[in-house]
Amino acid sequence: MGLLALGTALDWPDAQKHAQQVREWGIKQLLEIWNKAKHKERDAMLWGDEVEYLVVTYSKDDPKVLLSLRQADILTALAADEELSTQGGCVPALQELKSQSSNPLPVFHPEFGRFMLEATPGKPWGIDLKELLEVEPDMKIRRKIAKDHMKSEEYPITLTTFPRLGVPGVFTDPYYPPSGSKLRSQFVPDEIANPHIRFPTLAANIRWRRGRKVQVNVPVYHDENTPNPWKDPSVNYDLDKWPEDADVRNGAAPDNFIHMDAMAFGMGSCCLQITFQAKNITEGRKMYDQLSPLGPIMLALTAATPIYKGFLADTDVRWNQISRAVDDRTPEELGEKALKGSRWRIPKSRYASNSTYISTDPRLRPEYFDPDLIIDESIKAQLLQGGMDDLLATHFAHLFIRDPIVIFNEDLKELDITKADHFENIQSTNWQHMRFKPPPPGSDIGWRVEFRPMEIQITDFENAAFAVFMVLITRAILSFDLNFYIPIVKVDENMETAHARDAVLDKKFYFRKNPFSNRPPRSAHASGTNTPMVSRPPSPTGPVEDEYVLMSVDEVINGSKSDEHEFPGLIPIVESYLDSVNVDVQTRCEIATYLDLIRKRASGQLWTAAKWIRQFVAKHPAYKHDSDVNDAVTKGLIGTVIDISDREQLGKGWKGLDVPDLENLLGQFRGGCGGGSAA
Amino acid sequence: MTRIILSTGNIVSGGPSIIRKPGTYRSNLEFTNSLRSNFLAAQQDYAAALQNGNGETNGSGRPATDVWTAKEDSALYIPRIDWASAGLQEERAQYEITVKLFFLPTAPPEKRSEYINEALRLVTKELRLETVDLLITSFPGVSFEGDCEWEADKINATMGNEEEEVNTWSALEALHEQGKVSRLGIAEFGSDKLQRFIGKVKVRPAVDQINIKNCCNVPPPLALLAKDENIELLTHGDCTDILPSGTLRELLGQGLQGAGVLADGEDNAKGLRGDLKPEWVVKYTAFVKDRGVIENKGYFAGAELVEEA
Repeated sequence: MGLLALGTALDWPDAQKHAQQVREWGIKQLLEIWNKAKHKERDAMLWGDEVEYLVVTYSKDDPKVLLSLRQADILTALAADEELSTQGGCVPALQELKSQSSNPLPVFHPEFGRFMLEATPGKPWGIDLKELLEVEPDMKIRRKIAKDHMKSEEYPITLTTFPRLGVPGVFTDPYYPPSGSKLRSQFVPDEIANPHIRFPTLAANIRWRRGRKVQVNVPVYHDENTPNPWKDPSVNYDLDKWPEDADVRNGAAPDNFIHMDAMAFGMGSCCLQITFQAKNITEGRKMYDQLSPLGPIMLALTAATPIYKGFLADTDVRWNQISRAVDDRTPEELGEKALKGSRWRIPKSRYASNSTYISTDPRLRPEYFDPDLIIDESIKAQLLQGGMDDLLATHFAHLFIRDPIVIFNEDLKELDITKADHFENIQSTNWQHMRFKPPPPGSDIGWRVEFRPMEIQITDFENAAFAVFMVLITRAILSFDLNFYIPIVKVDENMETAHARDAVLDKKFYFRKNPFSNRPPRSAHASGTNTPMVSRPPSPTGPVEDEYVLMSVDEVINGSKSDEHEFPGLIPIVESYLDSVNVDVQTRCEIATYLDLIRKRASGQLWTAAKWIRQFVAKHPAYKHDSDVNDAVTKGLIGTVIDISDREQLGKGWKGLDVPDLENLLGQFRGGCGGGSAA
Repeated sequence: MTRIILSTGNIVSGGPSIIRKPGTYRSNLEFTNSLRSNFLAAQQDYAAALQNGNGETNGSGRPATDVWTAKEDSALYIPRIDWASAGLQEERAQYEITVKLFFLPTAPPEKRSEYINEALRLVTKELRLETVDLLITSFPGVSFEGDCEWEADKINATMGNEEEEVNTWSALEALHEQGKVSRLGIAEFGSDKLQRFIGKVKVRPAVDQINIKNCCNVPPPLALLAKDENIELLTHGDCTDILPSGTLRELLGQGLQGAGVLADGEDNAKGLRGDLKPEWVVKYTAFVKDRGVIENKGYFAGAELVEEA
């Protein structure tokens, strides 16, 4: 799906006519991939992280911080840097470059938002524990390289959202007026999206299919001076340029909600995603299932999104906003109208917590499945016919209930069975919190699983800590054969719970009490054969409800000492893994530092970025305790985030920075905080 | 006199024994808990397999000892081992096999050659392979203890019995020369002790395992020495005296947590009698290198029971 490939993107009415064709071809491609790769074995554990940045313009003299829309120029500058490309760094969307270097520099990618940039390591990471220590320096280099190819007043920052995206007036550089033909947003211009035809078409066709603009409403945080009921003052009820401008007159912007109306409000968020390569398809399916219940926990633990469109929100994370920002469901699919043209009522957006378990693990009980799962039966039948097993066929038949949103006319002429473009068209616009990724055709890449819920953190230290933690927990899951299964509807519920303000400390999440598998009885494996595959105990049959209990994030991460349930905790599990492998002192200590950050975030000793940002706003002299995050507060926040990042780049720690509560965010890590007049 | 071989089986997927309690930095709990759970599992499995055919129990609800233990080559295996299920899933080259051998203070140093052979025989039989990659030796009375690593390093200098350690090492060097062990390592040697040791041995240790607490500072003299001599400093969380005789007696005794193999005091109680002497413990780990997965980990222990006359 290279961005170089330009073509004629179909408008929704035309795209809709070809949806079935794309699905059918996609399924044919999937079966081809599956048949070729289902016996792929012994792939190494490789993994990769993706860091996304917002690009802002900031100068001490300018009262406003703006979003820079120079993504394309920055990427061009990066691509033109010969020194960078000889060392393996590149912009794959703009150049074909085969890396010669054994330790290549990072790689940069465009993102949906024209104010965003994504950077990944130059090559996938391996699992030598020493290599885990290279992640943080690599992330720092990425940030430095990105910064070096920007104007002096431009900065790459890792906040999940820009606090003043969509406010009335100027918030981008350069300025474009809102209310363009593609997004039809009354808050953001069409130019907010990457100009590559794919992106505006994606946004326009989602709106078109849906029959109205997307509706991204976040509850406002009621501070002491916030009126109740609160009416979003930035909504213009009189605008009448596009038919969709009537949405707000028809109740799209309810009281006490911050109202947003475009894909950019969601897909313009930055996150930290980790992709793992599995040994084979079986291991990939297992990792997919076992990481799924960790999603909401990690979302709450990385919470970093308390501000939208210039207002404090009453939620801490980005997830649901993205979900709503790309929700292309029709009123019929949403259940608002009787089914006529649409095929199903669909309970979730295409961006949502995942709805299937896919492992061949005998511990997967039927009770864990989503009873209301919507699948396309004919696609499932086709996959079964092609030899795929029921569980995996169900998974893809669920993803394929969606329409392809962006179709290029040129791609419809002939089915190329050696490609994955039609399959990926559907697969990559199902943004679930886990993604199961088949090997790309024609490559020696293996089956992969992507873990997608985490929010980006302000510093590279934190981002490296969460990435490394996720890597280690997957190794512990596979080594100890851990079992985190709970009914998938409970994972959904947890995902909602994770949104609450300070959910990390105040909320409880459904989690499995006993993550261990039963020891296989001897009689079962005393078979005298040469296959020492551990045979499993028969599936347990106790009530599923007895298997899980409500736990705090602290209990899940650090362990629970309660009388009713004893959960070992993910950190002690990871430490036990480390105890069992050969690891040198320095590596162990560095990893311990990362685990310590996560331990403290979970216990509340340290704050999430969301809480720290809230406190920063609350203590800012320009904040009037009315939920309004104005230009002055935003400038203070962004300036501080830039300072924190600069210090990190210099490796100097954060001592002496005059930033309120910084020691509550970053503690004594990496040289420590404190010493500023505000501390 | 009876030789006793204790085993845990593969403990990686065997439940909570492998998970350390938060805040504990060194312990033998993983070993003792997994022994206990393996005894219990064996009692249940073999009793069930008999389907009450040989319904003899020893009065406490446990199956009779000979149901779930086995006499093989003059040794008593507790529990009995199903060698048919031994082995690893992948090719040998995929693994890093690490073995750590603990010599115990209760055993005579002159028999260490025998212990080494016995321990390696069991491990290679269990994993079905010929060679190990790293063999780490833990000597009795040597530990790296103190409030901080600096202090630990100083105290360490006077610990252990160097003559015995060097003698033992020559047996290990022989294994290295035969190609059965690629690398040799020691545990808990501080800078002074390590410096003296490498002056006296032919094959230098490639690894020194030390225990670190909260302060992550390797004492600079040790760090320097390790760097100069190209010795890897690895971490571990084992205690040195991993199987005291009291612990072993409890594990095998008639108590609630015991396996019911040993008789306790009273004359009419069933079970073995005599003086129980733990000799060695070996821990083995099969680690799939390029996937970071531990496939097999377990322990064997050897003890001698000297029956009362």
